[in-house]
Amino acid sequence: MRKSGPWLTLATLLLLIWSILPIYWMVRMAFLTPAEITQFPPPIFPTRFNIASFFNVLGFDHTLADGTMVRASGQANQVLRGLVNSVIVAVIVTVITLVIVVPLAYVFARLEFRFKNLLLNAVLLAVALPPVSTLIPFYAMFVQLKLAGTLTGLVLVDLTLTVPFVAWMLIGYFRNLPPVERLARIDGYSRFGTLFFLIVPMAKSGVAVAAVIAFLFAWNEFTFALILVNGTTANTLPTAISGFLFQNPQPSNLAACIVLTILPPGLVAYFLQRHVAEMSLVDPVR
Amino acid sequence: MASEPGLVRPAAPLDRQARTRRTRELSDGHFALLIGLPVIAFLIAVVGYPLIYSIWMSLHKIVFFGGYRATFAGLDNYASVLHDEQFWWSTWVTIRFTIESVLLTMVLGLLIALLLNRRLMLGGLIRTLIFLPWCVSLYGAGLMFAYLARSQTGLGTAILGLLGIDATTDFLSGSSIIEVLAIGNAWTMAPLVAMFILANLKTIPTRLYDLAAIDRLSAFETFRYVTLPPIRFSLFVFTSITTVLSMKLFDFIFVLSGGGPGTASATLTYQVYKRSFKELNLGLGSAMSFYLLFLIIGSTLLLFLLWGRKEKPL
Repeated sequence: MRKSGPWLTLATLLLLIWSILPIYWMVRMAFLTPAEITQFPPPIFPTRFNIASFFNVLGFDHTLADGTMVRASGQANQVLRGLVNSVIVAVIVTVITLVIVVPLAYVFARLEFRFKNLLLNAVLLAVALPPVSTLIPFYAMFVQLKLAGTLTGLVLVDLTLTVPFVAWMLIGYFRNLPPVERLARIDGYSRFGTLFFLIVPMAKSGVAVAAVIAFLFAWNEFTFALILVNGTTANTLPTAISGFLFQNPQPSNLAACIVLTILPPGLVAYFLQRHVAEMSLVDPVR
Repeated sequence: MASEPGLVRPAAPLDRQARTRRTRELSDGHFALLIGLPVIAFLIAVVGYPLIYSIWMSLHKIVFFGGYRATFAGLDNYASVLHDEQFWWSTWVTIRFTIESVLLTMVLGLLIALLLNRRLMLGGLIRTLIFLPWCVSLYGAGLMFAYLARSQTGLGTAILGLLGIDATTDFLSGSSIIEVLAIGNAWTMAPLVAMFILANLKTIPTRLYDLAAIDRLSAFETFRYVTLPPIRFSLFVFTSITTVLSMKLFDFIFVLSGGGPGTASATLTYQVYKRSFKELNLGLGSAMSFYLLFLIIGSTLLLFLLWGRKEKPL
């Protein structure tokens, strides 16, 4: 690797600004006072760091420095329940997706068998289906199965999104791994043994990325959640937040909530990037 | 590889050993069946049913007012979609939005991946921050870009204000709304592409770069002959994936522009939503969604024929 020069620093800086700017603009709104939000032209930096919104959306009253009390948001219950539900759904979906997809992607990437292309195309078709066209059928089906308004229903819907999508990505990744199957067979590994003791450890970073993709899909899913669980006890965080926009517009509370939704995946991203960065493929030839 | 009966093998013991192992070993096909079939069955059940339901809806005229009625209409819905000017406008909007999104996403994704593959100061922090956009829900990203680009709350206006100019900039106008959508879409997707390309870049043995340095390859040649080959297939896969994702994108557009102003950013997904849920014309909406599906499948197929076919998966 070459030494870092001024161009590299500049490129890094530009990419950082590009990545952070929209998030900063939202985070800054969470700290603005109601007066500052309506101010014209809009302020670029918050001057008073008003943290009342964060307390309000989590259900606490907050007393400002000048003694005025800002009441807790009426939607705090929805937000808290949404937070719990979102964590549950995201974790379950991630685990199930990995259990299903890792062997599936491996099989499609490394083995030759009959109808492979047909089956692969079936998986791809599932990726290509636009959600707007399957909303009504899903709703009708879930009402009949009594799954509308339940977390189980949402997990099932999320799986139909994550499984094909993650599979499609991992197939490309598994193809890049060195061909160890014959060596493994000579060493006496069974099929499953090869997969779990050789392929998966080699593909650790790919599998980690796949896990995060599944987590984020489930965590951020909005369209189906809006139709299937909104307004029920199985409400997730994104739909709970949408109330701040449509029912009772409070920009700073909305912004504070969006910041809350970014924090858990942000932590995930931190652990993931470490993993991807430090992971380099174990070269089996050496 | 069953041993042919007429063939006499000199190394009999070795051969027998190999054969006994083979009988305990699952064949490729069986192993694939064992793993793939339950998943495929699940997908067929939960994807196939909505699909068939949609086909059924698209072949019927469904009326809600004055009692629910569904009368068989044959291909009428498909025909009336083709006579719908809004549909052709939306198709154009979708294509323009998709091409802009995909180009921007792939270029950015590649740049980010190449950058993060270097050793950087504060590397962990920088990587986390660069991956952060991808953690933002499309819903949240829609709101962010709406606030960022709108005249009243936008960055442009704020900067003009800082310079003492009392004017507004509105990027959410009809002429630039598709570009705002494409930039926002690329903003959320690029880190995902970057992460996978980066994972692929990590599989390149560093000694290849040492060899390239010994051979005195220029930076461009090193990229062309060392860096590019192992990621070409991933580039193709992700061009396809981002194409599909952009074409079926809905919540981001719904939150950011609501198809507007007017119909300036009414993509096909938004048009389907409008027909099905606002005008409650489920038959027409479903028929339109199948044209969208054809468009998605058609463009991935085109990508495969023009590009993917030539890429040898490594």
